[in-house]
Amino acid sequence: MTQPQDEMLPISVTVDGRLETGQVSSRTLLVHWLRDDLDKRGPKIGCDTGNCGACTIRWDGLLVKSCMVLAAQADDTRVETAASLAHDDGSLNDLQACFKEHHGLQCGYCTSGMLMTATDLLESGEEITEHSVRRGLKGNICRCTGYENIVRAVRAAAGHDVEKPHGAAEEVAS
Amino acid sequence: MILPPLRYLRPGSVGDAVHWLTHIDGAIVLAGGQTLVNALKLDLVAPTALVDIHRLDELRSIAVSPDRTLTIGAATTYAALAASTDVRLTAPSVASMAAGLVDRQVRNRGTIGGNVCLNDPTNNFPPLLVALGARFTVLGPEGTRTIDADDFFVGTMTTALGNGELLVSIEIPPLPRGARLVHRHLQVGADSWAMARAVVRIDDDNGVVVASRVVVGAVLGSPQRLRLVERALVGLPTGGDLDGAAAEAFDRESIETVGDVHCSADYRRQMSKVQLRRALRDLAKGTPS
Repeated sequence: MTQPQDEMLPISVTVDGRLETGQVSSRTLLVHWLRDDLDKRGPKIGCDTGNCGACTIRWDGLLVKSCMVLAAQADDTRVETAASLAHDDGSLNDLQACFKEHHGLQCGYCTSGMLMTATDLLESGEEITEHSVRRGLKGNICRCTGYENIVRAVRAAAGHDVEKPHGAAEEVAS
Repeated sequence: MILPPLRYLRPGSVGDAVHWLTHIDGAIVLAGGQTLVNALKLDLVAPTALVDIHRLDELRSIAVSPDRTLTIGAATTYAALAASTDVRLTAPSVASMAAGLVDRQVRNRGTIGGNVCLNDPTNNFPPLLVALGARFTVLGPEGTRTIDADDFFVGTMTTALGNGELLVSIEIPPLPRGARLVHRHLQVGADSWAMARAVVRIDDDNGVVVASRVVVGAVLGSPQRLRLVERALVGLPTGGDLDGAAAEAFDRESIETVGDVHCSADYRRQMSKVQLRRALRDLAKGTPS
């Protein structure tokens, strides 16, 4: 068997609405291209083995883990990272605001992946319950929160009336 | 982690894919990549080239023929199987299994063809497809051939696919009238790794078991048909003590299990029997497949 050679391949990918072009090695993972070449830091590298979901993106509209895809495979496709979620003026969308209000993060490393998966779940039309949210987020691991506030934040974004986190204060105009 | 050096090839047709698989020494198929990409990171495999078949539309169709045979393209994702009305109506066990696999992200990429061609002993589709009597259509340098499920799965991580051959589609014949099928799994968590799997199918004619298929997964050489259990069930009244007959026959089967971080080999063997018995009780209760 001959020693395989690295190949450089041209790709063009629409990332968060902007067309990006580049040359990638045939063995570059999509997450590495997004972060290292494009400086898109939404997808995080957590486990590198497809377990933690920190690198979750939407790829041609489908939720995937970008550490399990080659950059070369993304040629002529569309990628959305967590950076696509906020409004154009930079203000938080409803789901992001719920994560903030319900304290759905601590260290924040899993958050962009959680937001992508939660967005996919909320847009899927599936019934939103405590159970369906926990099951829906199964591919995303958080080692800080114990998930309680993340689940509440997603349910709140779906319009559920959920308990505020411990210590939350109501602001009332005087 | 950095992948080893390799070529990336995207064929425009299944014919091109077979051509590359045949003529490039060390080329392998990249389907959903949900196992393969990790295996590459860990240096568990060392291909010279990946032939990416995921975008080939001809491998992604789902069709039902007038006799209700379901034909699934090999690169159909778990999410597409779970969402397909055709699959849910003609092979509900396939749809429900696909819906309960791993997580949302993996279901969007992982394919039924990748699942069966890897034939990892813990994979869930191989035992189910054996119980359903599926047939596998394969394209190779010599043309097309069709392989029965019993012959397709050769042993642990091994199938009957030869050099240059590509799995094109999986055909699932309709269950005969009166047949019922139940699959049962002992998993580490919901939608997770299995410690034991059992699939039981009973073909009933006038209240008597006329044929049966009993398959276990998560054992060495999975999927394994338990022929002694199958024989013990045939001829019994469908409403009779199938559970007792199966349990007695199970103890005479030669089943090899291994221990891992989740459980010992002996526990796995015991739990295979428990899953089998529970599946038979589900059948007795008339739980739909």
